[in-house]
Amino acid sequence: MNDLRWIIPVAALLLGIGVWLMLPGGGPRRRGIGALAGTVAFGLLGSQLPGLGEWVSQSVFTVLAVVTVISAAGAVTFRNPVYCALWFGLSLVGTAGLFFIQGAQFLAVATIIVYAGAILVTFLFLLMLAEPSGRARYDRTSWEGMLAAASGAVLVGLLSMTVVGVLDPERGRSPPVAVTDLDRQQGVLGGEYVRPLGKALFERYLIAAEAAGVLLLAALVGAAVIVGQPQARLVGPPPTSPGPQDAGGEPRAS
Amino acid sequence: MPVDERALLANYLVVGAVLFALGAIGFVSRRNLITVFLAAEIMLQGVSLSLVAWGRFYNDWAGQMLVLFIIAVAACEAAIALAMILMLFRCRGSLDVALWHELREENLPPPADQEPGEPPPPGPPEWPRLTPAGRQPEIPREATDFRPRV
Repeated sequence: MNDLRWIIPVAALLLGIGVWLMLPGGGPRRRGIGALAGTVAFGLLGSQLPGLGEWVSQSVFTVLAVVTVISAAGAVTFRNPVYCALWFGLSLVGTAGLFFIQGAQFLAVATIIVYAGAILVTFLFLLMLAEPSGRARYDRTSWEGMLAAASGAVLVGLLSMTVVGVLDPERGRSPPVAVTDLDRQQGVLGGEYVRPLGKALFERYLIAAEAAGVLLLAALVGAAVIVGQPQARLVGPPPTSPGPQDAGGEPRAS
Repeated sequence: MPVDERALLANYLVVGAVLFALGAIGFVSRRNLITVFLAAEIMLQGVSLSLVAWGRFYNDWAGQMLVLFIIAVAACEAAIALAMILMLFRCRGSLDVALWHELREENLPPPADQEPGEPPPPGPPEWPRLTPAGRQPEIPREATDFRPRV
């Protein structure tokens, strides 16, 4: 298997190229090529992941991971912010599924409720400010797409090589670990999901829970203060570009 | 044959890394304020996925507990961020990040802006429409005419 070590860097490179081509700023043809490169990259990366050894777990994981990753790519690269938000919602559903099969059932439900139910809907309300169907100029360009995609590709490549190199049992670094019967009686694998989590939250992590409550209150008050400010105090220096009628503007060199 | 826990952990960590990288790319390169914050949430999702996988690997609740606090902090962040986006939109009338480029450091050049390589979609702007369904209710004319905007 050692000869195939180049596949992960190639996959990361293809992923970077694909995301770069799909970012706003190119035409539909560039976008198609980028989607193709990204699909090939995901396939290559997936082929290098160690197999789970059981086809049911493997197929469930594969489906959920593909849905999550592809919809995240869609959320990052679509022009229309409404579609971005919808792709993000699909990505949240995939993440919740992945949580679910990892023994984090409460977190799966909380992700759906908090993210998809509250945050995403608030985003969609705010999207009424945006111009529809990717019409605005700032939705059709992107900052330094190539550099951003290159750094993302480096990140994916390094992390995947490290993770797969250390944790793949076939590559000889570490023996496979299976769940023992002792594990099945306690902890996350114990078959009980919500009650131990709540117990841990309100016993061992009680102070952290209180701090999170204070943080939520502070955020609530802060948001109310930010939005409730009188208009006159917030108007800063005049904008350096035309107003919304020109569909966004470009910064002028000062 | 039981599932190999190390392989499971490796799979989840790679998916988390890909999510984080995609979010980072979007956070750096997109110009719509709302899309930027969606990308930040995608980065948080990647980290949460890795934490849950570690929690299962060590058979411990601490990973899930951290994700719980991540969700709480993300809710705070979304509330503050959306309030700020609303105020920024009120000030400049646009969601473009480039309109706030004077907040950069003094010795840095202004960000380079290139022409968009693709034209806007043709035709008038499409606003979402609802498909009519059911029977149209009979509303007296004077009840509809007094609304300033429907």
